[in-house]
Amino acid sequence: MTNWKALAAAIEPPVPEELLPDVIPALEKLEAAFRPLERTIPPDTLPWFGPEDDA
Amino acid sequence: MTVSVTIGEIGAALRGKRLSARELTEETLRRVADANPRLNAFLTVTEAEARVRAAAVDDDLARGIDRGPLQGIPIAHKDNIFTRGVRTTSGSKIFADFVPEYDAAIVSQFNDAGAVMIGKTGLHEFAYGVTSNNPHFGAVRNPWDLERIPGGSSGGSAAAVAAGLIPLATGTDTGGSVRIPASFCGVVGLKPTYERVSRRGVMPLGLTFDHVGLLARTARDVALGFGIIAKHSSGYMPPGHADLRGMRIGVPENFFVDRIAPEVMLSFRAAVQTAAALGAHVTEMRLPDPEALNVVGRIAQLSEVSALLARYLGRRGDFGPDVLTLVEQGRLIPATDYLNAQRLRRVLARDFSRIWTHLDCVMTPATPMTAPGIGETSVEFGSFTEDVRTAATRLVRPFNVLGWPALALPCGFSSAGLPIGLQLVGPPQQEDTLLQAGAALEDALGIAGRRPAV
Repeated sequence: MTNWKALAAAIEPPVPEELLPDVIPALEKLEAAFRPLERTIPPDTLPWFGPEDDA
Repeated sequence: MTVSVTIGEIGAALRGKRLSARELTEETLRRVADANPRLNAFLTVTEAEARVRAAAVDDDLARGIDRGPLQGIPIAHKDNIFTRGVRTTSGSKIFADFVPEYDAAIVSQFNDAGAVMIGKTGLHEFAYGVTSNNPHFGAVRNPWDLERIPGGSSGGSAAAVAAGLIPLATGTDTGGSVRIPASFCGVVGLKPTYERVSRRGVMPLGLTFDHVGLLARTARDVALGFGIIAKHSSGYMPPGHADLRGMRIGVPENFFVDRIAPEVMLSFRAAVQTAAALGAHVTEMRLPDPEALNVVGRIAQLSEVSALLARYLGRRGDFGPDVLTLVEQGRLIPATDYLNAQRLRRVLARDFSRIWTHLDCVMTPATPMTAPGIGETSVEFGSFTEDVRTAATRLVRPFNVLGWPALALPCGFSSAGLPIGLQLVGPPQQEDTLLQAGAALEDALGIAGRRPAV
């Protein structure tokens, strides 16, 4: 899984340390839900551009 | 004459010369001045402009110039919608003094239709939250209980309509921001199909999730407003005695029935029975994976919003703590995750769209609970505790991800006297179906006329 703390320190400007307890847990939870879904994407899939483009 | 009647009734009074636009505007301004210190629904009241517009409406009507059903109707615009020469804050300290040089497309459309702008309504900071408890402009209060939130982010618009101050208001909906306050305040809220209503001149938030919508007391009033701003409008108005004969309504038996407050579920089930009694073919069905839509939506939205707002992080102290947290989270989402979320969105949209081969609309609760108290951060469903933001958005966000139209309307009241809302969802461009179903249900349920004592 992503090392969010390291990422938060590496970007410019860095995420202030005191915000990390609010910032990171939600990202960890979201990533845990997202990775299994991500693996199901067929290789030829384009991004979504609107509801008429669903088919 | 008061403004606690429908737009159609007000229009008839104006055309029948039983009421002038000037009188209506003065009455509206008086009500706003009286109630706003308690509700904080309006950030700006445009008295002078409203009087000028009302006089123009009276002049037009005297000369036989009829601009349609919105002529002379008081309206308020959410304060993230640009109004030329009128401060437009987006609920943010950073934009506290921003005065646009042009009107948003929908503002121009309502102006051209003769609507009379009364002012700008309060919202969650940057429209990025569900409480409208704004750190810079104060909490917007729910007219049904002043110690509770109106929902958000279009909280001021919903509160103003619910309190009977105005019959129609604009809102924006990126993750439920029209339908959540509609549900908490007991009004009707429409999130149209993605891109059905112009976003020009609306402060962007989630670039591929933003929708411009409307809030009013009845589905027919929403229909009148929608006829003004919708691209390719059919001008549809639900008939006087709308019914649901032959309409195929799906009621999900997964996800949308999980972790719902018992009183909300009771009212929702009663509304489903009402739909069946009105002639609808009601079918219990399963939706593919609504939670996956929420995951995809949250990842992509976090990234999109931060792309817009990160530039202001040099003024961290000017953000409220909840919005600042979200902006920081969004900055950390890798571009690869953003793009894969958007690819997954297409896969999910394709799966979900299959339901429209055998359904006309889907009916769900709008929010799993009634309005929480101001300052409450969590809500309990039995032994399960959930934060207010996640709970309020989980039933509505999926349809921002899909871009489908959705209508929230009241379907009952809790034992504490708080409104309970349901949601009708349709295939792209089928707002008329939702408005027809909404009008039929509100006629049958008979609760649209119930108003709070503010």
